[in-house]
This record gives sequence, structure tokens and C-alpha cells, in this order.
Amino acid sequence: MSRAMETSRTVTRRPDFTARALVPLGLFFGLALVFPFLPLGTRAEYLLQIAFFTLVAAILALSWDILARSGQVSLAHAAFYGLGAYGFALLGKVMPWFAAMPLAALIAGLVSLILGAVTLRLSGMYFAIATLAFTEVVRTIIQNLPESVAGGANGLLVPALLGGNARAQYFLAFGVLLFTALVSLAIRRSRLHHAFAAIRQGEETARVLGVSVVRYKLAAFFISSFLAALGGVLFAGKTFFINPLETFSLANSIAPLTTSIFGGLYTTLGPMLGATVLRVAEELLHNSVKNGYLVVYGLVLMLTILWLPRGLMGLLRRGKHGGEL
Amino acid sequence: MKKMLLTGVLLALSGAGAVKVGVLLPLSGSGSVSGQAARNGYLLALDEINRAGGVLGKPLDLAFADDGSSPAKAVPEFVKLVTVDKVDFMAGGVSSATSIAISGPAKQYNTFMAWIGAAAVPVEDAFADHKYFFHYHPWSYYNFEAILDYFKYLKRSKGARNIAIAYEDGPFGSAGIDATVAAFKKAGFNVVMSEKFKTGSGNFGPLVSKAKAARPDILYWVGYDTDALPLATEIKQQNLQLGLIYGTPPSWPVGFEKNKLADNIAGLSLWLPSSPQAESRKFVAAYKQKFGNMTEEYFAPLAYVNLKTLAAAINRAGSTDKDKVAAELAKTNTPTPFGPLTFSKSLKTQYQGFKSGNWLHFQFLGDSRVPVYPVKFAQKPMVWNK
Repeated sequence: MSRAMETSRTVTRRPDFTARALVPLGLFFGLALVFPFLPLGTRAEYLLQIAFFTLVAAILALSWDILARSGQVSLAHAAFYGLGAYGFALLGKVMPWFAAMPLAALIAGLVSLILGAVTLRLSGMYFAIATLAFTEVVRTIIQNLPESVAGGANGLLVPALLGGNARAQYFLAFGVLLFTALVSLAIRRSRLHHAFAAIRQGEETARVLGVSVVRYKLAAFFISSFLAALGGVLFAGKTFFINPLETFSLANSIAPLTTSIFGGLYTTLGPMLGATVLRVAEELLHNSVKNGYLVVYGLVLMLTILWLPRGLMGLLRRGKHGGEL
Repeated sequence: MKKMLLTGVLLALSGAGAVKVGVLLPLSGSGSVSGQAARNGYLLALDEINRAGGVLGKPLDLAFADDGSSPAKAVPEFVKLVTVDKVDFMAGGVSSATSIAISGPAKQYNTFMAWIGAAAVPVEDAFADHKYFFHYHPWSYYNFEAILDYFKYLKRSKGARNIAIAYEDGPFGSAGIDATVAAFKKAGFNVVMSEKFKTGSGNFGPLVSKAKAARPDILYWVGYDTDALPLATEIKQQNLQLGLIYGTPPSWPVGFEKNKLADNIAGLSLWLPSSPQAESRKFVAAYKQKFGNMTEEYFAPLAYVNLKTLAAAINRAGSTDKDKVAAELAKTNTPTPFGPLTFSKSLKTQYQGFKSGNWLHFQFLGDSRVPVYPVKFAQKPMVWNK
């Protein structure tokens, strides 16, 4: 078979999933589902807390990855995450959590369309800087709202999700991550996948191929920010408190980016795997290298990215079906 | 061999049933300077407590955990201390955000908390209904009460009338700024300027020009240490005539006191190594002996006082029963490096330790921080430049 034919087959292949390809994903969610019931002894409650924040990190990373698939390397994730957190804190005062949660995410989704529309012509570094500036704008607006509304620079208390029940909160986070993964898989199976990939590889070419770049880029923004905002809701409802400086911090935009790269870009399992491995590694290092664990953590992260440019998924892709997801 | 085995068994037995205190501190991340200072304070107190016979006849045991200055790390670490390490009491706490984040588990496990930091008002809201929450650090509104008291003194003694406010645009500087302006006005001051700046920008030219035109007696600066030197430089360059520059950064730049630009700038601290209280002098001597140097971070003596008073309360209670220990700790009336410590109600919590009267106002004079107010603690007369 000629090289050209091989390439042609790669491009036109449908992103169908074989049952074997779904196995790693199934294992991940199976393990996450039974995790609270594992006989972990006295460490059970502590590990459940770690697992909760790991799920939130995975939601953020996967939602960021969905946007990145359309070639938009965003630094605005903190804004969407923060809008979810603030939306939930404010709406939670006037409606039950199960209504406040999707509504807060919807608001973040709608706001993201503004950013998406403004940055349509930008790409690469210019796009990243614009998204960074957008986060700062949102932070400033929130901070300058009357203190009686959004707590101003002081921040505000957030109603506890599910009465503060750690296990219930965990399963809610599990549900949100499962929903995020299903959205990601649905995109993978739909024409969105082809459109996103085409835009990522060259907007002009995508246009020539008949892809509505504007529509698909905005769709990526909306889906990604909606999911990121759900992550923000979970975090705020768990920690009971948000303030503009920490909620909209650059760290909340950078973490999903590094996690996705570490796990494997443009995949469903990669960002989730990345979040899990990084959180576990951080915790192990934290307990074993008391002083300077962040240095070791940073080195591990750097070396992994250097040696595994396709992230952890690069290891799975060596298998026959592993790379499909 | 037998001897070694016997020693091991005796040590194990002496440790069995020991009272265990969990200490949650920011040993890494943005709050680590305060957290590391607090850790030293705890270690010093632990030495003294165990040398004096320990707690309930056994050596006191401390379990440190690093909250990483992050709520997402603080919650699991707190739960680990309570459920895995099974500590009897919790101490520590510096950041407000991490303290609020653990308020849920603290209530869930009904944890006894002797808390040293977290001064923001939302923390007070979060722990308002917690039965076993003892808060040592003054709440943020007590800080401002102390500042206002000092400025009123300057009004009486120096005729200060006009205040210019320069505040950073983040939560630290901006929080409650409207209330601050209103309080100054209510106290009879003219707020001739209220200008925000971006911390770390280093550009104070326009701000100082504006202040110069407003002719204030006091420049009240609310920002971080990184802005101290650029602001002082700009004031010097523009020759802004002021009675006093008063700053309230969480910490001052290292070596700032040695810089000529720092001369006469005033600030607020709960404690200084030069604090005149006898307990402070004792603390300084003990700290130097153990660590070979001295810290200016007040979280070190605060942590020291925290553990010493908690241990004393447990000993007086004669058990680790939370109600009994709470009753004894509530009765605390002891001299400390900050002045006497007693617990009384704050606006929302039951047990508040230090309040506005414990703050010291100092000036950078002759390469060091010198207490200048309250007058009874002043070691040198205050320099007023007008």
C-alpha cells in the first residue's frame, strides 16, 4: 500500500470505537465508581477527599481539551470556572442547588460566546493573550460588583453542596465527570470531531472544505465553558468560599492545560488519566518529600512531557486500539 | 540487646495514650513564610511543654500537615489529621480561604480547633456556630480599629486632619475600602485622596503626584511588600511632604529597615522582637537559643502561645474531654508576648483571644522597627515630619 493511500485512509477513517478501545475508559469509571466502597481502613475518608478534587481537576482538564481540539489554546478557563463558582454562589441563595448548578454553567456558556465571537480572528499567542485578558476583565467586574451582591474583593461564602456530605459530593463529581466524558465521546463520534480537527490544522483549509469555522469555534467555546463551570460549582460547593483573586487565578487556567498535555491532548481518557496520575503523584511526593516536593513534582512533570510528547496516552497508543479515545 | 528492647518498650508505652495535636499550616505556597514561622513557634512550645512534664503525664505529640496555601489541599489534609492520625485537637490555620474550606469537615467531625490565623470576616461567619472554635488572631475589623485609634491620637497630638489612601486593587487592599473611608470621615478626618494601584506595577508616579496636590498629613498605604520600596522611592523623588507614611502590608520586604528610604515609615504588628513585654523577652531568648536566630514574623510567638495555652487547658481539665478543655481554655488569663490573653465574645464567635488593643504601631527608626504607640509601649518618640 502506498504512503499516499495510507494517509488517505487515515484521514477518511470514521472515529468509531471498538469495544476494546472503550475498555480503559470503562476501567477508569468502574474504579472511580467503586472507590468509596473500597476497604481503605482509616484512610478511606481522607482518600475520598483527594479523589473528589481529582475528579474536579479531571473535569477541568477534559473541558479544556475539548476547546483545544478546535485549535484554541485558551487561558480563559479560570474565567469559566469562576463564573460557574460565582453563579452557583449567587443563584444558590434563591433556588435549589440542582437548578443553580446547570444555570450557573449555562451563564458561563453564554458569556463564553462573547469571548468566542471577539477572538474569532485570533490564533496562537494572540488568542492566548486575549483569553488571559478576558479572565482579568471578568475578575475585575466581579470584584467591583457591590459587596452586598458578590462579596467584592473579600469574597463570599457558598452554600455547601449536598449538605456537606463527602460521599454524596463525590458521586456528584463522578456524575459530572461521566457527563463530561460522554460529551467528549459524542463529539468524537460526531461531525464536530472532523470540523474541530480541520480548524485546528488550518482555518483557511477548513473553510475551503465547507466547514463553518465561526459556528464550530463558538460551539467548542460553549461546550468547554459549560463543563468547566460545572467544575467551578463543585469546587465552590466543596470549599464553601470563593474570592476573585483565587477563583480567577492564572493557576486555574494553567492547571487544565498542563494536565491535558501530560495526559494526552485531543483524547477523552488522557486528561482524566493525567489529572489522576498528577494528583496521586503530588500526594505521594507531598508525604514523602516534605520540603521541596513541588520542585520534584515540577521536574517529574517536565521530564514526562519531554519524554512523552503525546502524554500518557502515547503509551496506550502503542497498543492497537488504545489511541482511539 | 535486652536493655535496648526494654528501652524501646518503655518509650512505646510512654507514647501510648499521649495527647495528639494536629497542626495544619501553609508550609508551602503563598502563605509559607508565616507557616514556617508558626511551625518554629510550635516546636519551641513543644520542647518547653515536654520538658515540663508533657500533657496529662505523657509527652505531647504534634502532627504537622501542609495545607499548601490551597483549599483543595487543606480539606484532605485536615480530614487526614482527624480520621487517619486521629488527633485529639487541631491547631494552626493561617489563611482565611483554607480555614473556611475546612469549616465543613470541622463541623462534621466536631473538631476542637485552637486557631491562630484567618482574620477575614467570612471565617467568623463560617465558624459562628462551631462550639469548639477558639480564635487567637484579631479579626480584620480589630486591625482597623487599632489603626483608627492611632490616627485619632495623631489628630489630637499632631493636628493630623487630611488622609490620602493608596490601596492595591486585589482583595487585600480593596476589601472594605468604602467602609474605611466612611470610618475616617466619621472620625473627623478629610479623606483627600483614595486611589487604587496595581500591586507589583512599580509605577507610583501619577499616584504620588495626585497625593502631592491633595496635601495630606498622612498617607495610608494598603498593599504588599513588593510595593514598599517603589512607593517610598517615588515619594522621595517627588519630595512629597507628609507627617507620616503608614503602611499595612502582611510582611515588609526583607532588609527594608536597613534602607534609608524606610526611615520614619510606620506600620502595624501584633508583635516585634523588641516588644517590651517580659513574656516577649523570654520568648525571644528561648527562640534564639533553639534556632540560633530571630524572626520578625508574629506567627512564631502566636503559635507558641497557642500550643502553650492549649496544653495548659488540657492539663487543667485533666482529660481530653472537649467540653472540659473548652471550659478551661475559655478561662485562660495569662501573660503572653502580645500582652495578656483572655477569651471573650467577638461579633459572631464565642471565644476570641487577641483584639484591637494588642496591636503595636511601630516606625522604622535607625535600622529597626521601634514601637511608638500605644504610648505606654513606645520605646522612642514618634517622628512626625510636618
